[in-house]
Order: sequence, then C-alpha cells, then structure tokens
Amino acid sequence: MPKNYLVIVVDDDESFRSALVELLDSMDYDARGFVSAEDFLASDTDSVCDCLITDIHMPGMSGFDLQRLLTSRNSQVPVIMITARAEPGLEAKALASGATCLLKKPFESQTLIACLKAALNM
Amino acid sequence: MIGESALAAMGDDGRTPTRKDCLTPYMRTIGTFGLGDDALVLTGAPPGRAQKLVAMVVMPVFLVLAFFVARPFATMQLRPVEAFVASYVTTMFVTNVVTAVILFSQFSILRTRGLLVIANGYMFAALVLIPYALSFPGLFVRDHVLVGGVQSTAWVYILRHCGLAAFMIAFALLNGGTKNGRVRSSVRMAILLSVTATAAAAIAIAALCLGGHALLPTAASNNIRFSGNWFYYAGLPMASLYGLALCLLWRHRRTVLGLWLMVVAFVHLFGIPLSFFPPPSRFSVGWYTVVMINLVANSLVLIALLVQISTLYVRVLAAVRAQQREREARLVTGDAVSAMIAHEVKQPLAAMITRAEASLRRLARSTPEIDKAKDDIKQIAADGYRAAEIIDSIRGNFKKDERTRAAVDVNSLVAETAALIRDDLHKQRITLQVAPNAASPEVAGDRTQLQQVLLNLVTNAADSMAAAHGTRVLTVKTEVRDNSEVVVSVADTGTGVSPQNIERIFNPLFTTKATGMGMGLAICRSIIEAHGGRIWVAPNNPRGAVFNFALSLDPNGHWGAASSYPKGARRDEKV
Repeated sequence: MPKNYLVIVVDDDESFRSALVELLDSMDYDARGFVSAEDFLASDTDSVCDCLITDIHMPGMSGFDLQRLLTSRNSQVPVIMITARAEPGLEAKALASGATCLLKKPFESQTLIACLKAALNM
Repeated sequence: MIGESALAAMGDDGRTPTRKDCLTPYMRTIGTFGLGDDALVLTGAPPGRAQKLVAMVVMPVFLVLAFFVARPFATMQLRPVEAFVASYVTTMFVTNVVTAVILFSQFSILRTRGLLVIANGYMFAALVLIPYALSFPGLFVRDHVLVGGVQSTAWVYILRHCGLAAFMIAFALLNGGTKNGRVRSSVRMAILLSVTATAAAAIAIAALCLGGHALLPTAASNNIRFSGNWFYYAGLPMASLYGLALCLLWRHRRTVLGLWLMVVAFVHLFGIPLSFFPPPSRFSVGWYTVVMINLVANSLVLIALLVQISTLYVRVLAAVRAQQREREARLVTGDAVSAMIAHEVKQPLAAMITRAEASLRRLARSTPEIDKAKDDIKQIAADGYRAAEIIDSIRGNFKKDERTRAAVDVNSLVAETAALIRDDLHKQRITLQVAPNAASPEVAGDRTQLQQVLLNLVTNAADSMAAAHGTRVLTVKTEVRDNSEVVVSVADTGTGVSPQNIERIFNPLFTTKATGMGMGLAICRSIIEAHGGRIWVAPNNPRGAVFNFALSLDPNGHWGAASSYPKGARRDEKV
C-alpha cells in the first residue's frame, strides 16, 4: 500500500488506539491517532485524511455524532466504525449513517485490510 | 460504565441485603415444604393468639354456659324435627369430608403417618354418617328406620365416636414421635390404601349395626328413649377414649391441628355429663344441645384450618413474589455487569491482538523490523497486565460494603431513630427511655441499614407491649464493652419471647404476630452479620424481652476506597 494514505484513528481507549496506529503503520499507512473526536476536529486534518477509523462509544462526541458532522460538512472522507460492544442492530445503524463498515473488537487484520480497501477505493 | 443504582441492587454473594429490596436474602430458604421446617406448614404451625383464645377460653366458657343453661331443661322433650337431623347429618358429613380432604392434602406434602391417620379418622367419621342416617328412625320413613333395627343408630353413633377418638389417639401417639416417619410409598397409593381400609371399617360397622342389629346389646329402648344402660354402652367408652385422646393431644397443643383436635375431644368429652345424667332421649333439650355443640366444634376445626391456610398462602405468595423480584433484579444486574465486563476487557484484548498482528507484519518483511516488533511485544505484555487490573477493579466495585461503609455515631443514630418513632410511641402510651453513651462510640457501617435494624427492633418492642398491661417502657441503651465493641439494646416490658423461640425468632417466616411475615428480624440479623456483628435476644426482668446487637468499635471507620480505573499506566505513548 502506498505510504501516502493518511488514516486517522479516533478512539478514547489509549492502548487500542496506539495498537491500531501501530498496525496501520506496519501496513505502511501513514497513521495518526486522536483521543477524541473533538481533538480530531480541532486538528483540521479532516480535510486531508484519506480514511477515518473511529470508535463509536466515546465520552463526549460519539462516532455517530462525528459521522453526522462530517456528512453535514459534505466531507468525502470514508469512515470505518469500530466498537467493543455487541449490541444488535449496531451494524445496521453504522451502515445507515454512512460508514463503510463496522468492525467489532477484536478484529483480525485481514478484516481491517478488506475494509480499508473498500473504503479507499470508493 | 454501569450506574451506581445498578451496582447497588446487586448483593455480594446474596448475603448482603440491598438498599432497594430488603426482602432478598432469605427468600432462598423457601424451598419445597418438608425440608425441615414444619413450622412453615399448616398443621405444624403454632396457632395464633386469637386461635388460642378461642380454643382455650371461648370454647370451654361456651360449653360451661351451655351446660348450665341446658341442664335444668335437659330432659324436657321437644317435638322431633327430622329435618333438623337431616341437615345436621349433611352438614357434619360435608364438614368432615372437607376436613379430611385438607388433611389428605397436608399429608401429600409432609407424608407423615400421623397426618394420614387423622385424615382417615375424619374420612371414617364422614362415612359412618351414612349408616347413621340410614338407620335413624323417622328420617326417611315416618316412625320407622329405613335400614336396620332400633339399636342400629345408637350403636353406629357409639362406634363412630369411639372410632374417631381412636384415630385421634393414634394421631397423638404418632405425631411428632419417632414413629412419625415419612410414608415411603407413593402418596397416591398410601391415600388409596388407607381410604380403602377406612371404608372397609365403615362398611363393617354398617353391616354389624344395620344387618346384625339383633345381636347388639340394648342401648336404645325405642325410637326416642335410650336404655338405662346407655351410660355403660356409650358414656363410659366415649368418656375414656376422648379423655385419653385429650391427654395425649395435650403435648401437641402448640400446633394448629393438635389444638383444634383437642377442642373437638374436649367438646365430646364435655357432652357426656350434659347428656348422660340422667340418660337422655332423642329430641330432648339436652340432646339438641349436644348435637349443636358437636356441629359447632367440627365446624370450628374446619374454619381454623381454612383460616390458617389462607394466611399461609398470603405469606408464601408474598415471599415468592419478593423472591422473583430479587431474581429479576439480579438477572438484570448480572446482565448489565457482564456487559460491562465484556466491554472493558475487550479493549485491552483487542489492543493485544492488533499489536500482535502488527509485530508479525513487521517481522514478515523482507527486512524484518525487529526493534519495532520487540517494542510491540513489550507493549502486548503491558496490555495484558492492564486487562488483569481492569478485572480487579471491576471486582472491587462490587465490594459494596467497603464502598458504603462509613463511620456511624451510634448515639446520633439512636437519637434519630427515637425522633422518628417518638410520636407513635406516645400515641400507644409507651414511655421511651434513651440512654446515650457518654463515650460517643462510633462503628463502621451503613447508616441506612443500621437505622433500619434499630427501627425494626423498636417497632417490634412497641408491638409486643400493645396488649400488655402495666407499665409500658421501651428502653434503648448503648454500651461499650471491653473497649472493643458497642452493644445497643432495645428492652421492652411486653409479652417477651418464650425460651423455645429464642433461637427461632430470627428465622425467616417465623412470626408470633397475626399479621406480618416474619422477615423483619431475619433481615436485621443479615444486616448485623454483614457488618461483622451479632444479634441476640434475652428475657427482660421482670417481663418482656431485650434485643441486643453488637458491632465492633471502630473509631477510625474503615473508609472503602473506590477503586480507580487505571488507564495507560505503564506504557509508551504512541500516536
């Protein structure tokens, strides 16, 4: 994968976020992590990133809120949602809100790769 | 994270009562009947005060009155009213059958031989009424018996009473003794066989008295008058058998069934002086009186059983409902808790997996990035530790006692409780004496729960004095013993606790009150024991009871630290 894809990870859980950034880095993506949606928005990278991977349930702005905000800004950035909860109907909700896919922690790197491919080819 | 209320509703090991629903902990003891505590069951339960009053006081007084009222007129002959006999026989039959059915159903639960015997006794009494009616002169055919001869009815009557008395004696001997074993064969077989045997006995009596009436000694002179030997044929056997039954049943007077059987035996015994001196005739005042008294006595047994059943039913229903509510609360909380655990533990696990995959990728390159892989693997270990800490912290959240324990000033607790009930006590004309302790001791505990205990004890004390005569004094004292524990005592001058109830009184469902479920003291004990203390009752001098509970003196108050949720304690930050 070319290194110029900027993938942003937004997750309040630090260990998972840094692990995911690490994995993306090992896949040769340019990965950056933010602890919250607010931090991400404040960094103004939403216009330059190629893909956004965000946790759904976060204190403060949730993944859905973020998605809605970006949609309202007519952002073209594909969003992948991740979650640690096993609520039924969450996947449907995620897809309905415009996410490319929903990944449930823990997920295999193959699943992530497939998702990224789908997201970045859109 | 799960809210405080959800955590609060779940007890640790189920032994600690929750704040919300304090009927929880001992609901489990309501298992199937027959698991030890016969007091839960109808026939083994102690009779309430009203019942004892009626049985021991009202009935004898009523009988004595009836005796003195009817005695002068006992020989006065009234017009024979056959309809009276018909209705009396029918009523007795129905009453006896229903009593028998209730007793059989009790037997099906408890399976004791005594119950089977007395159930059959009432069945016998009912069945034998049939030949009694058939041979009663004038009942079906004017001035004649339908079946049998002149002696038939009288002898059926005698044998019926002797039979019933014999069954009572057998019950008294079997019940509560070593011979009162559980019947081993199936309940249905036991009932079937015994009823068949009883029916056979009834048929035998019918055959003898109706068919072989010519063989019977002369107990009745004609359709109305009894013979001069009536006393020897009827009075003596009945008196001795019922007298024996009464004596043997005396030691069962503390059970509902025992008490009311005693009443029946006493009534029949008492009927003998009324109707045997001089020998009665049918349809005399004395005869009518005895018959009415019999009817009343038998109905009373049935009514007592039915009342007991209803109250027990209400209690058990309430207990079962409370148990269901508790179970639901636990399920809901259990589910919520497991969701929380799943969510919290999945995070570090997912991080570990992701990092493992990252390090594999790094190692799989054409030039493996070994250093980065090493860092990843170190991080995996750190994440593993974090997962363990998370699990510990979740567990720590459930040590509810530590979280909610605080230093409780006993004097102020007592004063608050006193303020709450002062008005009520004043209305009941109870003097309240509160003796605060000069040392102002403190204990570590949940203030709400301890206040609940104190309130319960004080309410019980007030209730026990409700019927008491003489001075009504409620004393609450706080003592410090051995410099290591605080003892709070609630003393009353009421009815006190009988020696055999001193231990049982803290059992769930045990109550000496007519209303009330018996949960209060069980909950108190559970609360006090959860605080590491103990609770007990002792007799008060000169009368009444003293309830005491002791808690460890803990001036420092063990403050439970809310476990913090460690985040990112040991690793390198990587963005």
